[in-house]
Amino acid sequence: MMMLIRLYNVSKVYPNGAVGLLNVDTYIRQGEFVFLVGPSGAGKTTFMNLLTRQVLPTQGQVIVDGRNVVRMRPSEVPYLRRAVRMIFQDYKLLPNKTAYENVAFALRVTEANPRQIRARVMESLELVGLAWKARAYPGELSGGEQQRVSIARAIVGDPTILLADEPTGNLDLDTSWGIMELLLRINKRGTTVIMATHNRSIVNGMMRRVIELDGGKIVRDDERGAYRREADHGMVLPG
Amino acid sequence: MRLTTVWYFLAEGWHSARRNVSLISLGTIAASLFVLGAVGLILMNLNHISQLLQARIEIRAFLEDDLSPEGVAAIRAQIQATDGVAQVTFVSKDEGLRRLRGQLGEHAGILDVVGENPLPDAFDVRVEDPDCTAQVAARISRIPGVLSVNYGRGFTEKLLATMRLVGVAGAAVAVLFVAAVVFIVGNTIRLTVISRAREIEVMKLVGATDWFIRWPFLVEGMVVGLVGAAVSGLLLFAGYKVTVRYITGLAPFIPVITAPEPVAALCITLLIMGVLMGAVAGGVFVKRYLRV
Ligand SMILES: Nc1ncnc2c1ncn2[C@@H]1O[C@H](COP(=O)(O)OP(=O)(O)OP(=O)(O)O)[C@@H](O)[C@H]1O
Ligand SMILES: [Mg+2]
Repeated sequence: MMMLIRLYNVSKVYPNGAVGLLNVDTYIRQGEFVFLVGPSGAGKTTFMNLLTRQVLPTQGQVIVDGRNVVRMRPSEVPYLRRAVRMIFQDYKLLPNKTAYENVAFALRVTEANPRQIRARVMESLELVGLAWKARAYPGELSGGEQQRVSIARAIVGDPTILLADEPTGNLDLDTSWGIMELLLRINKRGTTVIMATHNRSIVNGMMRRVIELDGGKIVRDDERGAYRREADHGMVLPG
Repeated sequence: MRLTTVWYFLAEGWHSARRNVSLISLGTIAASLFVLGAVGLILMNLNHISQLLQARIEIRAFLEDDLSPEGVAAIRAQIQATDGVAQVTFVSKDEGLRRLRGQLGEHAGILDVVGENPLPDAFDVRVEDPDCTAQVAARISRIPGVLSVNYGRGFTEKLLATMRLVGVAGAAVAVLFVAAVVFIVGNTIRLTVISRAREIEVMKLVGATDWFIRWPFLVEGMVVGLVGAAVSGLLLFAGYKVTVRYITGLAPFIPVITAPEPVAALCITLLIMGVLMGAVAGGVFVKRYLRV
């Protein structure tokens, strides 16, 4: 299988001294579905931000789909971000645009054909169950609804890689499983999915590869893992 | 670029302009463009007047005394045959004196002191092309029987010098006001960019190129420039009409431009300039504040 993502000894220390990531060496294969777990502040978001060049590493190299993200020219970055879409932990919707326009924006930047834009945006909003709120502005939507708009925007262009940062953070259990089903379907269509989550039952229910971060380091990488090392299969540990 | 994308940029720029542009900045832009247009109108009129005056420039060829009527007729024929001459009129010494009296007005008494008419007979010569006045005058002066040749050299040169001065001053004022307009539009857009820094960051995260983000600001600049120019153009057109009526009532001998076409052309130029300046301000200024 092809290595779609490769991190070579990557560290990210923020200007204020906070450690985002420390000597991380890993790879992700094309078509994989990977959970990124670990306590708050472990470096999950930092890991994802490095892949879309929202932050640059202070050390090491990041290769995505054959391209070195660190050495990439600024003019190439937009194209990287169209291939690697992200569901942001804080949604990052455009406040002056409707739900429809927010999703459409991801296609507009690629100058897609207008009929295609309409069809795909509506399809995408339907998949997250929000077609009926297409005309609403983010300020008129609940947190969970905004999150689903953010999901619709990330999946609308069939990206090569989907980075889902806590995509179920604001959703009830039923909707969360609906979103999981959606992410699995997208993964089946060929998109590599990396999902950061604190949702124990989802991770345990899926039996997928789990990378656990703590203090910026990879402390565990199981092919068919659980949310916590061994514990969840047998007895329940506190935490 | 796709047509939908163009429409998208136009709509975005238009909405952003409506949200962000204050009446004060729009008023300042309109005022600046108004002054710019007024300078243009003054220059146009000076040019118009100078052309009319140049067309009236005549050469006066004074004749030697004691020429026979046949001799005078021969000289007339020779002048008529000279290259560049349009029209020749005989001015007898008495006629010349009468005109001189008229020009001197209240100082005409001085001629009575002189006593005898000091003026020779003369021909007034009108030339085909005012720019060639000097050459034609030189040719006529070589004709035998012509005593001396006189043409409004000093006046022509003064007029041209004045024109040049007004032109330079006008250009300086124009540059100043163009800079002012670009600065005001640029500042308006700078504020938009700053207030939308987070939005711009999100757009970049979703894969927008710098140009995709810049275009709506460019359009916004053009909208602001266009509206400002339209307001100033209308005011200028109306204001000029009133001014012309005032001037022609007060001093009808000043040949100001009264036809609407040149004024309309100026207003359209102003419109185009407003759009261009807005585009420059939108395109260039935004680039400096786009770093995310
Ligand atoms: N922009 C930043 N500037 C400074 N420090 C930062 C910045 N972003 C993250 N950090 C720090 O880097 C560390 C890792 O943060 P990160 O956001 O990657 O954690 P996370 O695993 O996503 O946490 P959570 O589960 O709460 O989302 C934290 O200590 C955090 O304070
Ligand atoms: Mg995070």
